[in-house]
Amino acid sequence: MLNADGEASVTKGHVVRVLSRRTVLRRIIQGLGLTLALGPAVPVVQARERAAQSDETDRLITRVARPLDAETPVEEFVAYLTPNSRFFLRSHFSPPPLEQLSDENWRLRVAGLVEQPLTFTRQDLKQFEAITITAVVQCSGNGRASYRPKVPGVQWEQGAVGNARWTGVRLVDVLKKSGLQTNGRHVQFQGADHPGAGTVPPFVRSIPIEKALHHDTILAYEMNGRPLPLLHGGPLRVITPGWMANSCIKWLTDITVRYDEAQGYYMQTAYRYPTRPVTPGETIAASDLKPVELMVVKSLIAQPRESASLKSGPVMIQGVAWTGEGTIVMVEVSLDEGRTWEPARMIGEDLPYAWRQWQYIWQATSGQKTIFSRATDDRGITQPETSPWGPSGFLWNGWDRVRVMVAE
Amino acid sequence: MRSVLSVTAIGLPGLALLLLYGQTGAAPDERAGMAARAEGVVIARCGSCHSTDLITQQRLNRSQWQGTVGKMVQWGAELSEEEAVLLVEFLATRFHQTAPASVTLNEIGAAEPLQAEPLVIQERPSGISQEGAGVFANNCQGCHGSGARGGFGPKLAGNPILNSERFWQTLLYGRGGMPAWEHTLSRQEIANILAWLKTL
Repeated sequence: MLNADGEASVTKGHVVRVLSRRTVLRRIIQGLGLTLALGPAVPVVQARERAAQSDETDRLITRVARPLDAETPVEEFVAYLTPNSRFFLRSHFSPPPLEQLSDENWRLRVAGLVEQPLTFTRQDLKQFEAITITAVVQCSGNGRASYRPKVPGVQWEQGAVGNARWTGVRLVDVLKKSGLQTNGRHVQFQGADHPGAGTVPPFVRSIPIEKALHHDTILAYEMNGRPLPLLHGGPLRVITPGWMANSCIKWLTDITVRYDEAQGYYMQTAYRYPTRPVTPGETIAASDLKPVELMVVKSLIAQPRESASLKSGPVMIQGVAWTGEGTIVMVEVSLDEGRTWEPARMIGEDLPYAWRQWQYIWQATSGQKTIFSRATDDRGITQPETSPWGPSGFLWNGWDRVRVMVAE
Repeated sequence: MRSVLSVTAIGLPGLALLLLYGQTGAAPDERAGMAARAEGVVIARCGSCHSTDLITQQRLNRSQWQGTVGKMVQWGAELSEEEAVLLVEFLATRFHQTAPASVTLNEIGAAEPLQAEPLVIQERPSGISQEGAGVFANNCQGCHGSGARGGFGPKLAGNPILNSERFWQTLLYGRGGMPAWEHTLSRQEIANILAWLKTL
C-alpha cells in the first residue's frame, strides 16, 4: 500500500521501516471512514492526520483485510449504542472511489416500474421528512464460526452486529414521489461499489414490496447523529429494521422497482437458507431454500469476557438481546450447562428493532464455570441450544456461552 | 502462455470431475514442492481479488473446497486446469475440517517486514501501454479500482509515484498491504502496466 508512511520509509535507503499491516489497515480505515464524516471541505490528508490521533477503529477484529470484514469485540456491547468507529464492517468489494460519492457526482436514481423515473441529489432528499430509528444491524453470517461441520464464508464469531440510531428518509416516500406502478412486487437496490473484475457478479439485491413500503424502512444518511461514514455506506444506505443486513445496501445509487426478485448470484444463490432440516453434503433443491430476511431471537453476553478471571462473590453478568420485528420478553441465564435457568433483569430502553439490555447478579463460587444465556421473544420463540445447520451458515442463534475462572 | 481453464468450454460438471479425479499420489518430497507451488498460486491468483486470510480461516472438507474453487474459477480466477487441481489438493489437505486454528500459509503472504530492496533495479524494459490495460485488469484492479481510480488501494491515475523509483520497488517487493509481484509478473508486464497508467 502506498501512503505517506510508505514514502517516508524509502528515503532511509536500506533501513526500511517496518510498517505493520495492522497499522496500514488502521490508517486506511481512519482515512476513509472519517473523510465523509468531516465533510468535503476538509482535505483527505488533514482528515487522515486527525483520525490518526484516535485509536478507536483499532478495537475491531479484522476477519478479512481486503475487502474489509471486521467485527466488534463482544465486550463493547455493554453500551446500548454501538459507536460508529466500533461498528462491524462487511464489504463485498472495496468502497467506491470518494469522488463518485461527492455531493457533485453522487445521485440516487429511481427507475423500473414507476410512473416517472427520478434522480435525486443529497440536497433533494431533504424535501422528505427525516426520521430516526434505533435498530440492530446484523450480518447474516454472524456466528458462522459456531457451526459444526464448518461451512465456507467469513468466520464471524459474535460481533458482526451492532445497535445504532439511523436517521434518513422513508423509502416509501421516495417511491411515492416517482409513483409506483401496480405490478411492482420487488424493490431492487444497487450501490456504487463494484467488483474488481467483470467476471465477478455485482452485489445487487431486492426486498419484497411489503417491506419496501413499510414506514420503518429507511434510506439512512446519518448513523448515531453523525454523517454516515464511508465504510458504513455513506452517503446513503438502506436500513430494513428487523431484517438481516444483506438488504442494507451501502453506497446506494440505484433503486429499481421490479415485478420479480433481483436476478444474479447475490439474490438467487447467496443469502439463502434451507427451510427444512438438512444434513451436511446433501443436495438441497432450490425450492427448499429461501432468502435470509428476518433476524432470529438471540442474546449475547457482553460481560464478563471469555476466559476472565473473577473473584468469588457477586458478579454482574450483562448483555443484550434482540429479535426480528418483535420484542424481547425474557432473557435467562444458566450456570449448570443449561439444566436450570434463571430470569435476568431487563434494563434500559425497550424499542422495536433495537436490542434490549439485561443483567443478572451471580453469586459466583470458585472453579471453572460456564455462563449461558438465552432469550425469548414476544412470539414465544426461545433461542435454541444450537441453530439448524445449513451449508452457508446463516442465522446462527445458539445459546451464548462464556467460560470464566472464579478464584476463592 | 498459460492455458487458462475455460468454464464455458468444459462446464462446471467438467470442472468437478477434473477436481475429483485429478488428484495426485505424490511422494512426500514432491508434496512439499507442491505445497510451495500451491501457496504461490494462492497468493498470485486468489490474492489479486481478496486477502488470503479469507482462505486460511476456512476449515473445509474436500467437497467444500472443490465447490469454492469451482465458484472462483467461474468468477474469473485465472487458474489453469492443473493449478485448480493442485489448489484443491493443497487446501483440502492443509485447511481441513479439524486442522488446528494455528494452521496458515507459510512465509509468503506476510507483507511484513518489508524486504530491504536493492537500490537500483536493473532490468527495466520499456512498456507497451496497450498491453498494460489487460494485465492491470487481471491483477491490480481488484484493489486499485477500474481505470485505476482507487478503491481499497490508492488511486494510481495521475499519481506521482508513476514517475518515481518507488513504483518499481513497490511493484516488485511490496509495501504495507501491497503484495510483492516479483515472482508473479514479468518485468515486461510491469513495464506495460506502468505505460498504461501513464496514459490515464
